[in-house]
Amino acid sequence: MTPSDYIAVPLLVSGVMFFLAGSAGLLRFPDVYTRLHALTKSDNVGLGLIVAGLVVEADSWFVVGKLLFIWLLVLLAGASVANLITKGAMQRGTRMWTR
Amino acid sequence: MKLIQPNLRAHSSEHTSVWPLRWPGRGHWLGFLRRATLYALLWLIVVEGDLSSLWIGVPAVLVATTASTALRSPATMILHELFRFVPFFLIHSLMGGVDVAWRAVHPRMPIAPHLVEYPFQLPPGLPRVFMANTVSLLPGTLSADICAHFLKVHVLTDRRDTTSELRKLEQRVAALFGVVLPEGALE
Amino acid sequence: MQTLHFILALLLFLTLGAGLWRAVVGPTAADRMLAVQVFGTTAVTITLLFAQAFGNAALRDVALMFAVLAAVTAVAFVRRAWSEVGVDDDSE
Repeated sequence: MTPSDYIAVPLLVSGVMFFLAGSAGLLRFPDVYTRLHALTKSDNVGLGLIVAGLVVEADSWFVVGKLLFIWLLVLLAGASVANLITKGAMQRGTRMWTR
Repeated sequence: MKLIQPNLRAHSSEHTSVWPLRWPGRGHWLGFLRRATLYALLWLIVVEGDLSSLWIGVPAVLVATTASTALRSPATMILHELFRFVPFFLIHSLMGGVDVAWRAVHPRMPIAPHLVEYPFQLPPGLPRVFMANTVSLLPGTLSADICAHFLKVHVLTDRRDTTSELRKLEQRVAALFGVVLPEGALE
Repeated sequence: MQTLHFILALLLFLTLGAGLWRAVVGPTAADRMLAVQVFGTTAVTITLLFAQAFGNAALRDVALMFAVLAAVTAVAFVRRAWSEVGVDDDSE
């Protein structure tokens, strides 16, 4: 392992953990709104951490820029789509789970 | 466990209007130059610094700059405020991810969803949409709808003071767009 | 390091499995759309890990395209296929 691996490996592994936690939410949470909570947030953080890990390993600044640009795009898409789905589901009268 | 019906049709939704077309007038050329620099940088990132691609890159950058200047929003971000917003966003979205991941894997799933209506102080348009998108990535909140005067937010847990957190976020978004909020108007 | 990237990519395929299950089970159209959103994000992530593992820069461009298309597809779907307010396939 090179010194940079000691930074990259924890970032990559924790990124994947967030994806798995997001899937747990996708499977376990009771309605579409709570599932959206799990997915938008944990996938955003998961991809962010993996991108951070790959940035540490990257060998040029252009690659760093491209990785960050990809994250920004996914971030923007995730947040906007979550918004659209929530609004659409509410307009269609999908019931909200409460305790 | 009981089911409730979110009452949404009662409020008319505000649709984000199409940005008015504007062409660069006198004094806008600096903005044009700034955008062109940004797109040129983006092009270099996409081609990973391959300078031989510039014969197609330069026209592409010019077209993108012209189009985005024509379609630009009246609200624009302030660059140095963006540098203050990014660390705030990164820390809080990380907290949001940790919070929801913990709730998703917890054996008893500690969630208590409810709806909150947050009265906007921001002006309509890009600042509100920006805030709504940010809200969805912060801990425990998900934007449900941008209504005429308020933001409908789906909240995952009742353990937080959501309204005051949203107020703090709104102030940051206002600073980012250089908007002065009518302070105390709703207190 | 290469092995790690492969293991992580493999774990991400489990995420795709969870998404697929949600897409099949639903119960609402919104759930299925949500699953499609998961596919997009996960595909981007797996492709980025492969780009690094294989040392193949072109795969990063594939990830970039996935990122752009995921956004466009989802918005188009919400706007077009789902815009008519009507009866949803909500089983509740």
